[in-house]
Amino acid sequence: MTDWLKENVLWLIPAAPLLACLWIVLVGQVVRRKYAHRPLVLGLVVSLAASLYLLTVVVPQGFAHDEHEVSHSVITFVYQWFKVGTLDIPVTLRADAMSALMLTMVTSVSTLVAIFASSYMKGDPGYPRFFAAMSLFVFSMCMLVLAGNFLLLFVFWEAVGLCSYLLIGFWFQKPSAAAAAKKAFVVNRIGDFGLILGILLVWQTCGTLDFATLFDSSFVIDQMVRQQPEIFHWICLLLFVGAIGKSAQFPLQVWLPDAMEGPTPVSALIHAATMVTAGVYLVARCTPFFVHAPYIQMAVSGIGAATALIAAITALTQYDLKRVLAYSTVSQLGYMFMSLGAAGAGEGLAIHAVTFAMFHMFTHAFFKAVLFLSAGSVMHAMGDVIDMRRFSGLRKVLPITHWTFLAGALALAGVPLLSGFWSKDEILAVLAAASKGSAHGGFYQVILGIALLTSLMTAFYTFRAYFMTFWGPEKFPEEAGHHPHDAPPAMAGPLAILAIAALGIGLVTGPTHLYGHYLHHTPGLPHADEFPLDPVMMAISSVLAIAGIAVAYLLYVASPGIAQNLKRSLSIGFKISQEGLFIDWCGYKFVAAPLRTLASICEFFDRWVVDTIVDCFGFIPALFGSVIRPVQNGMVQNYGLVMMIGLVVCLISVLRALAGTM
Amino acid sequence: MPSLLVVMIFLPALAAVALLLLDPKATAARARWAALLATVATFFVSWAVAAQYVALPEISSADRMTVHPQLVVRHTWLDLSQAGANSPAIKLEFFLGLDGISVALVVLTTILTVSSVLVSWTAIKDRAAEFYACLLILETGLIGVFCAFDILLFYVFFEFTLIPLFFLVGIWGGPLRRYAAGKFFVYTLAGSLITLLGLISMVVAVVQSTPSLTTPFSIPDLAKALAENPLPEATQTVLFLMIAAGFMVKVPLFPFHTWLPLAHVEAPTAGSVLLAGVLLKLGTYGFLRLLLPMLPIACQKTGLPLIGTMASIGIVYGSFCALSQNDIKKLVAYSSVAHLGFCMLGLFALNTEGISGGVLQMINHGLSTGALFCIVGMFYERYHTRQLNELGGMATKLPLLAVAMVFTSFASIGLPGLNGFVGEFLCLAGMFKAGDGQGVIFAALGALGVVLGAWYLLGVLQHAFFGPVHLPAEDHGHGHEPVADLNAREVAALAPLLTLCLVLGLFPQPLLNLIQPDVEAVAKLYGNVKATMPKTVTTASLTTSPSMALGSETRP
Repeated sequence: MTDWLKENVLWLIPAAPLLACLWIVLVGQVVRRKYAHRPLVLGLVVSLAASLYLLTVVVPQGFAHDEHEVSHSVITFVYQWFKVGTLDIPVTLRADAMSALMLTMVTSVSTLVAIFASSYMKGDPGYPRFFAAMSLFVFSMCMLVLAGNFLLLFVFWEAVGLCSYLLIGFWFQKPSAAAAAKKAFVVNRIGDFGLILGILLVWQTCGTLDFATLFDSSFVIDQMVRQQPEIFHWICLLLFVGAIGKSAQFPLQVWLPDAMEGPTPVSALIHAATMVTAGVYLVARCTPFFVHAPYIQMAVSGIGAATALIAAITALTQYDLKRVLAYSTVSQLGYMFMSLGAAGAGEGLAIHAVTFAMFHMFTHAFFKAVLFLSAGSVMHAMGDVIDMRRFSGLRKVLPITHWTFLAGALALAGVPLLSGFWSKDEILAVLAAASKGSAHGGFYQVILGIALLTSLMTAFYTFRAYFMTFWGPEKFPEEAGHHPHDAPPAMAGPLAILAIAALGIGLVTGPTHLYGHYLHHTPGLPHADEFPLDPVMMAISSVLAIAGIAVAYLLYVASPGIAQNLKRSLSIGFKISQEGLFIDWCGYKFVAAPLRTLASICEFFDRWVVDTIVDCFGFIPALFGSVIRPVQNGMVQNYGLVMMIGLVVCLISVLRALAGTM
Repeated sequence: MPSLLVVMIFLPALAAVALLLLDPKATAARARWAALLATVATFFVSWAVAAQYVALPEISSADRMTVHPQLVVRHTWLDLSQAGANSPAIKLEFFLGLDGISVALVVLTTILTVSSVLVSWTAIKDRAAEFYACLLILETGLIGVFCAFDILLFYVFFEFTLIPLFFLVGIWGGPLRRYAAGKFFVYTLAGSLITLLGLISMVVAVVQSTPSLTTPFSIPDLAKALAENPLPEATQTVLFLMIAAGFMVKVPLFPFHTWLPLAHVEAPTAGSVLLAGVLLKLGTYGFLRLLLPMLPIACQKTGLPLIGTMASIGIVYGSFCALSQNDIKKLVAYSSVAHLGFCMLGLFALNTEGISGGVLQMINHGLSTGALFCIVGMFYERYHTRQLNELGGMATKLPLLAVAMVFTSFASIGLPGLNGFVGEFLCLAGMFKAGDGQGVIFAALGALGVVLGAWYLLGVLQHAFFGPVHLPAEDHGHGHEPVADLNAREVAALAPLLTLCLVLGLFPQPLLNLIQPDVEAVAKLYGNVKATMPKTVTTASLTTSPSMALGSETRP
């Protein structure tokens, strides 16, 4: 049994949700539509169990004692997708420590969200469609993580984009949902443009796309470093463009807030916990490339910092609860990229930079999922109203939701000892270490400053949302009916579990180095010494978190008048923040609209220039005809004249020829 | 016993003649059943032929010619040496055969023709017998091109396809049908006359350089003679430009594409399906069959930069034109320009990856664009409009049609897992590898087309299928009959195409295996099949011989 499991655990993880998807599409649409969630939940439980088992398979027993022992990846060949010339692309599943951790996160959050959604989506006419798309998503996400080569990763990179498209546009009758779905897919495709070129460049440079060949041994990359080290800057830049798109980083972050048009469980799972972290995963996975491109790592940090700051500023003034959370997701993803880029200061930091980014991704998945699902629970109770100005004081009516949201908010704000605290603090610590480094220290000092500022703002906007929703006078919109009800058990259960995870999972896996040591078994990550805890950063970040919460309390609970005054006196700043620094507007005005104009110009050019030239050529025979047509006018005199001329010309030439010969 | 191949080619034409002679007053109902019977029969025959082909033993690499037809039917047609004492010893032949590439394209043709008959079922009411006869004759012409291995026979079939399509567009088309049919006919004919001139010049040049060749019109023999005794570069370049002229119009490559949107908009649905699905492939097939194996120096030195430029501009430009269209059919027509650009990028990468991708893309484009035109036709039959701004929320009204449309759109924009992706990726990979910087630029422009493709096709979905229901204001005088979702016949027309889209996306290898030997034989001419980097690094080769792992010449 164990042997069987050991050999088959890899394909079992994606196969279970795939089967669920096929079942729902083929059968569930017609039969027992109300129970369409069951195959998915069942499949996910199987996947989760298999992922947990995989954790023990990938890394040898007793790993914690010798963390530097790199374990080899587990590979399963599924079938030969295609093989042409020198391009050999099999479908292989490959798992190492990094993918095992990521899979555990994906399947556990998915399971809880699926259970939540089974109640949340009740009564929707598209119930089976929802769960079919969600099964397809979990399948694709697992395959993305398990992909054994770059092209397969790209396949599922696009596939999760498709699921995201289908789920954002789930309520396709709403024009805003249809528009948001298209925007998400097209903006993601801009990133994919870079990614596919990056993949082609990897193939061209290294001659293979296989992760095992590239990362399990450093041979190929070392070869390339000796031959053409500068090529890694191009490779990493292009791969990072892909990550920018998928992980909603500046300037492609515009799609993620709009993606909130989808049902809330989708926002929680796809647009917070899992899919958007694929970019982080890609960069982390390609660490062996990135360590050879320090400038691109600085760009990664820089883009991450810019995104974190911009998104945090935007989140300060949003009234839509889901949008606050969406911007906060963008901001936290920025954090992860800041961390990933920290290795630009020195190769010794690389493994810590990656570990901390992955760890923040891990904790973030739980606390952001609980925040979104709690927001969903609020929406559920408020009759789908999500504007925080229209309800308040929900503490009493929605006690469960209140507590779970609070747990998530505390974790996100980085209150000491909770999940977000540990992971965020580590990122700050690695940035501090980078700023002390000799190479580009000044640059990383700026990044660290931004990170600290963002951390203060995060605490503030999270608790602004919390206080606006759950404190103050009790107020419901009329859509809510008279007696708003709290989450039913199928929603409350997942909320509670996620809330506990949000509070505790950081403490369990962070300071104990459980997560870090496990991750260090990933083949391809460079080795380095233990990273010491940074008490100074811990102190600063704790103070910032508490200060942010305190300011939010002051402005939105203690004396709401100050907030109004501030808003009035800083109306321009408020407007800028509200509009997200007008980035979306600029993107439309300076990119989309000009391209549309260009399209119209092309259309015009095609119709009136290219085609007119063609028609002109078409006229040449007619024109030629009209020139010589008068000659054939049927008048005998003319014909006689022409005959005479011809005769004379002939005679002259004959005579001249004869004269010449004589 | 007549060869199955001959039966396959002439069965539709015989059926057409029978339909017209035996039952000239056939009602629409009788005519369409007869046509369906004939096309389905041809479809099965084509599968039988394909099976016959696949069952053939593999040719050893020593015996393999660059162009290597099998299941050959070869008869002397005209023997010029008998004409007089001084006549050259040249034979024209009736030379039919098949190689892997033609098998794939023939099967594509027979599948699409069945779908064409099914989508015309209720749309064509007037002169139905003649309509279906035209369709069947067109099928014969198309299959004939793919099976002809004599240049003149190829050319005859190539031009012959124009006639039935001219009538299909000119009689059963939209309001501007005469102009569209005339333009399409004259434009492509003008181009292919230059091609004919080029082909004959090439034959003459070969006869002069290799006098021993008695069958210079035979494509395999000509390719062989040219490989042994290549023409000088200048001659090759001139011949390349002449022969390419007609194919450029046919493909169509930017800037010779303007006949296409017009013809598509005016053509009846079946005409559009076959025009996009198969007829355009005659151009790419021409390049592949008559230029790549014959004139390698010109293809490398002139073709790669010239065609690469035209194709990559075509991809971006066609996509932009598609983006600003309001008529869905015209939008799909412009998307064809972009997709065929991918095909050409692949073919002129001149390596195994690229050419395989180009051939795959021919098939893929035939399936997905064929299906898109079918869907647009079904749509038009219901609402009598194709204007994006007059439609909305169709997914609520016609869920099944919407599912088909979403699926096909994603196939068309190259979503991995569906057919478009592998083809596009191979084309881009081939071009990326093809050479000295320019290939990378062409590939990057091509990849840009992938972004734009998503933009315009998802725009169609957003405006016409999603959002609140919005019906055409006045139904163009057709009243408001209740509109129903897809019926069984329409599902039957679409199902094979969509199924193949999925199957080829997940399992492209059987098709790649089918074309592999023929593609590799052509790519071998260009010397970079296996000789140059990049080499595949396998874990095994890493451990055994590290020096082999990176087959780059730059390394000492």
